[in-house]
Amino acid sequence: MTDGPKKIIKDITKGFAKHGYICSEQIATAVYLASELEKPILIEGPPGVGKTELANTAALYFKKEMIRLQCYEGLDESKALYEWRYGKQLLYTQILKEQMQEVLEGAKGLKESLDRLMKFEDIFFSEDFLETRPLLEALTSEKGSVLLIDEVDKSDEEFEALLLEILSEFQISIPELGVRKADVKPLVVLTSNNSREIGDALKRRCLHLYIPFPDAKLERQIVQARVPEITESMQIQLVNFVQGIRELDLKKLPAISETIDWAKTVILLNSEELDAKLAEDTLNVLLKHQQDIDVVKKEIPALVSSATETSDGKSLN
Amino acid sequence: MEKVLTDFVKALRNSNVRVSPAETIDAVSVIDSVGYEDKELLKRTLSIVLSKTPDEKEKFNACFDDFFSDEIKQQVSVDIDQLSDIKDVDSDLAKKLLEGSQGELMLSIADAAEEAEIREIRYFTQRSVFTRRILEKMGVGKLEDELMQLGSSREDELPSDFEQELRNQLTNLRERVSDYVQQQFLLHGDVSGEQLREQVFKSMNMAQIDRSYLNEVHSLVRKMAKKLANLHSRRKKNFKKGKLDIRKTIRDNWVNQGILFNLSWAYKKVDRPKIYVICDVSGSVGAYARFMLMFLFSLTEVVSKLRAFVFSSNLGEVTNDFKDAKLDEAIEKALQKHGGGSTDYGQALTDFVSLCVDEIDNKTTVVILGDARNNFGPEKAHLLKTIKERSKQVFWLNPEGKYRWDTGDSVMTKYSAYCTKVFQCGNIDQLERVVSTLLKTAI
Repeated sequence: MTDGPKKIIKDITKGFAKHGYICSEQIATAVYLASELEKPILIEGPPGVGKTELANTAALYFKKEMIRLQCYEGLDESKALYEWRYGKQLLYTQILKEQMQEVLEGAKGLKESLDRLMKFEDIFFSEDFLETRPLLEALTSEKGSVLLIDEVDKSDEEFEALLLEILSEFQISIPELGVRKADVKPLVVLTSNNSREIGDALKRRCLHLYIPFPDAKLERQIVQARVPEITESMQIQLVNFVQGIRELDLKKLPAISETIDWAKTVILLNSEELDAKLAEDTLNVLLKHQQDIDVVKKEIPALVSSATETSDGKSLN
Repeated sequence: MEKVLTDFVKALRNSNVRVSPAETIDAVSVIDSVGYEDKELLKRTLSIVLSKTPDEKEKFNACFDDFFSDEIKQQVSVDIDQLSDIKDVDSDLAKKLLEGSQGELMLSIADAAEEAEIREIRYFTQRSVFTRRILEKMGVGKLEDELMQLGSSREDELPSDFEQELRNQLTNLRERVSDYVQQQFLLHGDVSGEQLREQVFKSMNMAQIDRSYLNEVHSLVRKMAKKLANLHSRRKKNFKKGKLDIRKTIRDNWVNQGILFNLSWAYKKVDRPKIYVICDVSGSVGAYARFMLMFLFSLTEVVSKLRAFVFSSNLGEVTNDFKDAKLDEAIEKALQKHGGGSTDYGQALTDFVSLCVDEIDNKTTVVILGDARNNFGPEKAHLLKTIKERSKQVFWLNPEGKYRWDTGDSVMTKYSAYCTKVFQCGNIDQLERVVSTLLKTAI
């Protein structure tokens, strides 16, 4: 533990790379801080830059169980925190009825029977009948866990308030049982696509990491790690092409996940060189809107030539 | 060391990054483990802890670079001893510049700044004044005089090495001082200046807002629109009970041994309003149309359908311009294409009715922005009546003061008879109120 932060950050970068996640220094620093300060990280960024993947990789890296909670409109505590097993509870009361006779046998008067009843152990509201949901599960996990709360922005504002207690104190109050506190604090990762502004109270409790589209160098590393079978020249050309597309004014810019899909497509088609035809044929892997495809189609020749040129320049060096 | 951090947090707050005390405490504990040695690492960590939106990250980066810009510029050092005319210069400042160390120089800048009462700096525009004042306190005037003398006493055209060196040092010093002032401004500058300006913009007549402030006003409008959007995007729970949610009811009533005791009702989703805006963009009202459109198109997330039409004599639709291009460009384009010319409300209404009267239904709000000055043409108010009958409501926003309505060629009363509500809408505050009413009643 006496290692300097720089060394740990480097270790994280390397460890993540081993699991196929190439991260920038900024990301590695955030992961380091989250584990060091035991604070949740809120990750924002355009879709497809690897927000969810970061949590998956962190779970692999720290060798912890991954617990995921997908948020959506209308998500409430019975689906996120805990619920009672009502069916079992009903059966329990049935059993209780039969037992009652034995307990109350020979009791004289109402008062004595009530005393006996009070002494009788009651487990109606107890751990036995508690159905844990992701959040409670993450807190009670003995070896610690990585809790991913995906797309927080999709949930209602009420749910955000529910998260506050968990995120700052790592505890949940269950009215019938009292406060449950985590023995081993989980590493919490929240992601947001910013479809709604996250409240200040939640933001204040979190570290905040913004993952932008990667630069060409990082993206090449990522493609290399994810699609190792691709040739180097092809990989450079693809990445340059995608970087070029991101300069255009599009409805949805292609993210890393699209670049990777595209690289896989190209491998599948056994193509050696990026040319205008290949780009045009496979454009729908990269772009998800017809308008965007139309815009890019016009630019293909220019994009292809600049992508292949720069790669030639690189290979000469 | 904590002083540095709290100063930095103060600077961040002044550049509009919101940092809470709790976050400052986080930052302190982070620095404990990271340390101050590695500037890049420090920047990365603090950026994670202190700034919480992409926008804030940008501001944070700029602020960090400003605040910690302590790199000492490389000096082109000339061996002073070899310079012959050193004897001609005897001001303290010159000696300090030539002989003193960087540290001493910084110290004397700080002293002079103290004397110049740098703490009083409040506004962006005061920076040059303070820079000048500090330089004067340091005795730049005397040095400049001496440099003048040196320049006039020399026979040949070229300045001597020594003179050159001194001049370089002086420029260097100027930069230093202005950096220092910038840093101090970040620390002591007052954000209330900005708040004050916003206040003024809000209550100022929109036509009188100077074009050079458009950007600032735009961001203000966006901020206000965002507030409204937040207010109205909250899913409203239904008060009038709607459909029975059977699944939820059964689930909730397990507790009651399966007897359906507490009923649960499905949420009724609130319909988002459709808004059709018609803006007069002729010379007199064009400036108002700009802000109106700005406001409405910042609200797209709470409005299901927004179509905008502008007219002076003929009516044209500009919705697509706004969807594709940036707001500013779209507004300019709309004003250019349709602006100018004499106003003809009758024609505009005719065009509007023939263009899209079929689409207007009982969820649609029609908003008309104009001064109702019709150049004595036919007003065709019956068309407005048709529109009103088909739509949920018709709002008329008139930028002119009420006392001017119906004077000259204004035919406000004729139109207002067929409007659900008529507002006076001359400044941004009023505009906000109108839009808020609109969102409240449009459903």
